[in-house]
Amino acid sequence: MADAAPGPGLAAEAMVAPRGGSPGLGEGAWSRRALAVQLAVGRLAAPAWVPLAVLLMRFGFRWRIRDAASSRARYTGLLADRKPLLVVANHLTMVDSALIAWGLGSALGHVWRYRGLPWNVPEQSRVESSWLWRLLAYLMKCVPVPRSGERLVVAQVLERLGHLMRSGEVVLMFPEGGRSRSGQIDAESLAHGVGRLIKEVRDCRVLCVYLRGDAQSTWSNLPAAGDTFTIATRLVEPRSSLRGLRASRDLAAQVVGHLADMERAYWAGRP
Amino acid sequence: MTEEKIFEKVVDILKPYSKDAGALAKVSLETNILSGLKVNSARLVDVVLAFEDAFGIEVADDDADKVETVGDAVRLIQGKLA
Repeated sequence: MADAAPGPGLAAEAMVAPRGGSPGLGEGAWSRRALAVQLAVGRLAAPAWVPLAVLLMRFGFRWRIRDAASSRARYTGLLADRKPLLVVANHLTMVDSALIAWGLGSALGHVWRYRGLPWNVPEQSRVESSWLWRLLAYLMKCVPVPRSGERLVVAQVLERLGHLMRSGEVVLMFPEGGRSRSGQIDAESLAHGVGRLIKEVRDCRVLCVYLRGDAQSTWSNLPAAGDTFTIATRLVEPRSSLRGLRASRDLAAQVVGHLADMERAYWAGRP
Repeated sequence: MTEEKIFEKVVDILKPYSKDAGALAKVSLETNILSGLKVNSARLVDVVLAFEDAFGIEVADDDADKVETVGDAVRLIQGKLA
């Protein structure tokens, strides 16, 4: 039951001064209270939207995740330890976040242990394209980010994500920065923000997730109906002896390297 | 190093990252690196790292966050070299 409680502090921390954030970007730049409210509203609505989303994937699109029980068991074990957890994954479709969340927990599991449902970082212009998207993004634990935004704005988003992780929430990011246009992990395409987050959140653990459908040969908007997905996970704790921006780049490169390695293992194990 | 020299070197570094050759021809201190020179935001980190290598300086994340225009970059580098 303990895990069903709010993250240790989002609501409480909403009332106090920022901690561990970048100098110069403080409470005035963004509101911890707003995040706490978003979390509370999402939690209240979760018994409705989480099962609906899973039903849509399972029976609407007839998707299946192979051996999800083992990835869910592993993820549940990781949640028992309150050290910050970042999930990073390969990115082929627009619904990868939902598929990965499903692969890491059942609908009931996510409703019960809401903090285990990862926060997402969708592209801001897509979220702002309609009120429906805005509502869904708000309920579904999203912190929108402008993909080509000024670094200061992106830094504020990273600060929010860091705050969430320190508060016991899990964040999901795609270190390639976008869907893989080649259909394979692109080690040259690095979202440095992933590295910066790992660097700035002390004791950050990273769960690398490789997810691919049997029918997925390249990127697309949606996976094919009836596709069956393989999910693989690898827990790493990247560290860098470099400093500043170089450390961010090094850490991002390390996680992308792990994903590329998992991709090789996926293809090697595929009949 | 004078501001003028730093400016010239900064523009040289930005050249391969800019997708707008026309904007490069009339670049000034006020030119925005992302919107004015059409530099991909994901490559901005590489640009700042190139500044580090070229000028022998180290730029912290928070300092890099504040670089929006060519002038911001020049002033940042000038400050580090001082």
